[in-house]
Amino acid sequence: MSDHTVKAYDRDLETLGRRIAEMGGIAEKMLTDAMDALAASDVALAQRVVQTDPRLDALQREIEENAILTIARRQPLAVDLRECIAAIRISGDLERVGDLAKNIAKRTVKIVGEARVPRAIIGLKSMHDVAALQLKDALDAYAQRDVERARAVWANDVELDALEDSVFRDLLTFMMEDPRNISFCTHLLFCSKNLERIGDHTTNISETVVYLVTGESMPSERPKTRAAASGLESPIDTPH
Amino acid sequence: MTVMPVVKPELSTKVAVRNLDFFYGDSRALKDITIGLHTNKVTAFIGPSGCGKSTLLRVLNRMYDLYPKQRAQGEVLLDGENILNPAVDVNLLRSRVGMVFQKPTPFPMSIYDNIAFGIRLYEKLSKAALDARVEEALRGAALWEEVKDKLQMSGLGLSGGQQQRLCIARSVAVQPEVILFDEPCSALDPISTAKVEELIDELSERYTIAIVTHNMQQAVRVSDFTAFMYLGELVEFGETDNVFTAPREKKTQDYITGRFG
Repeated sequence: MSDHTVKAYDRDLETLGRRIAEMGGIAEKMLTDAMDALAASDVALAQRVVQTDPRLDALQREIEENAILTIARRQPLAVDLRECIAAIRISGDLERVGDLAKNIAKRTVKIVGEARVPRAIIGLKSMHDVAALQLKDALDAYAQRDVERARAVWANDVELDALEDSVFRDLLTFMMEDPRNISFCTHLLFCSKNLERIGDHTTNISETVVYLVTGESMPSERPKTRAAASGLESPIDTPH
Repeated sequence: MTVMPVVKPELSTKVAVRNLDFFYGDSRALKDITIGLHTNKVTAFIGPSGCGKSTLLRVLNRMYDLYPKQRAQGEVLLDGENILNPAVDVNLLRSRVGMVFQKPTPFPMSIYDNIAFGIRLYEKLSKAALDARVEEALRGAALWEEVKDKLQMSGLGLSGGQQQRLCIARSVAVQPEVILFDEPCSALDPISTAKVEELIDELSERYTIAIVTHNMQQAVRVSDFTAFMYLGELVEFGETDNVFTAPREKKTQDYITGRFG
């Protein structure tokens, strides 16, 4: 993309992009640290995650203000306008990712005295790995303005939904096996919900990237099964 | 280059330009232009200086006829009739297709006579009927309330914004079908600009409007369709909302986002 005649305009947009990348990095670290803290019952790490959240909130407010000022100053059109809108949307999604990671971290502190069910953490770790990779890919897609990568993230959300279903079933099983597991597993159930929500925000980010690059919106219905995501089934055939 | 316009079936075309070439002497200023102005819609023409947008406008009411060495080739159909045909009565054409210029051009006469002049050229009316038409035209240009008590005052005594609205009233007075605006607000302050834009909104309900403008945001505000021209060619044409949020052509995007030059 060639430069604007007015160089300050380029700088305005570049700043938005850099701040989003910064927010993305913080959110990714919060997610991974929260999961590590949960797995290792590391209260100190969990508390550091919680303390990081205000920085993310401040960044989101800064990005929004900058985007609004850019709109007022430049009356942007076409791709520039979509850049400003994308920055506002993505910063909102990243702020929620941070909140959800913080919630996972807070649970780690809550369950520190509980009887642990190590098997229950395994499913959650799998969910985290998918969610973390999705988030990384979505942020890379934004940085590279890569539509294909964004579409892949969008389609892959179904993976996380499927994992959440299986984690749900596993946790129920553990709770039914032994009532002493109930408290711990219920907390993990909330954590699995948080991870699934992180996946949804990641998918929002990928939809915004597609909009940013092409000006088009993604279809409103995401694929509900893996087969639908790969195009093998029509959406109306899938049971859900 | 021919760019096929995106036309919704329910829209009718008031002015159809087909394969139009225009020459200043040997220099080809418009290249194979094909475009349609939809009835009672506002079409904006944007593009860098020298792209041909004002030239195109001046073909639509044969203004170029006034100058030797300027000629047009191709077809311009107004309600299906080719106005480039030498047999066409250009005076009558110019009452059907009015024009408002960048610099307000009030006649050196009273406000009343500015409006009545054009009407008198085409119609013989009683004083009462003429008074009524003058009032209707001034109302149509949102100027009546400001001048109704000083109709005998010279048109030159009005402010810039009022003079421009007087020129619009003059166009409206002869009951045109199409009104062409060539950068009508370039010389006006923001308040006058807003009044003229509001007027264009109202006028588009009864007239087909084409507007050449350098002000991108104005094009977005006032028009339904936008045509982007470059070096005499039509690069892109479409619904304004789409052209300015997700243009199809890179040149269009570069121009409207200020990446040109």
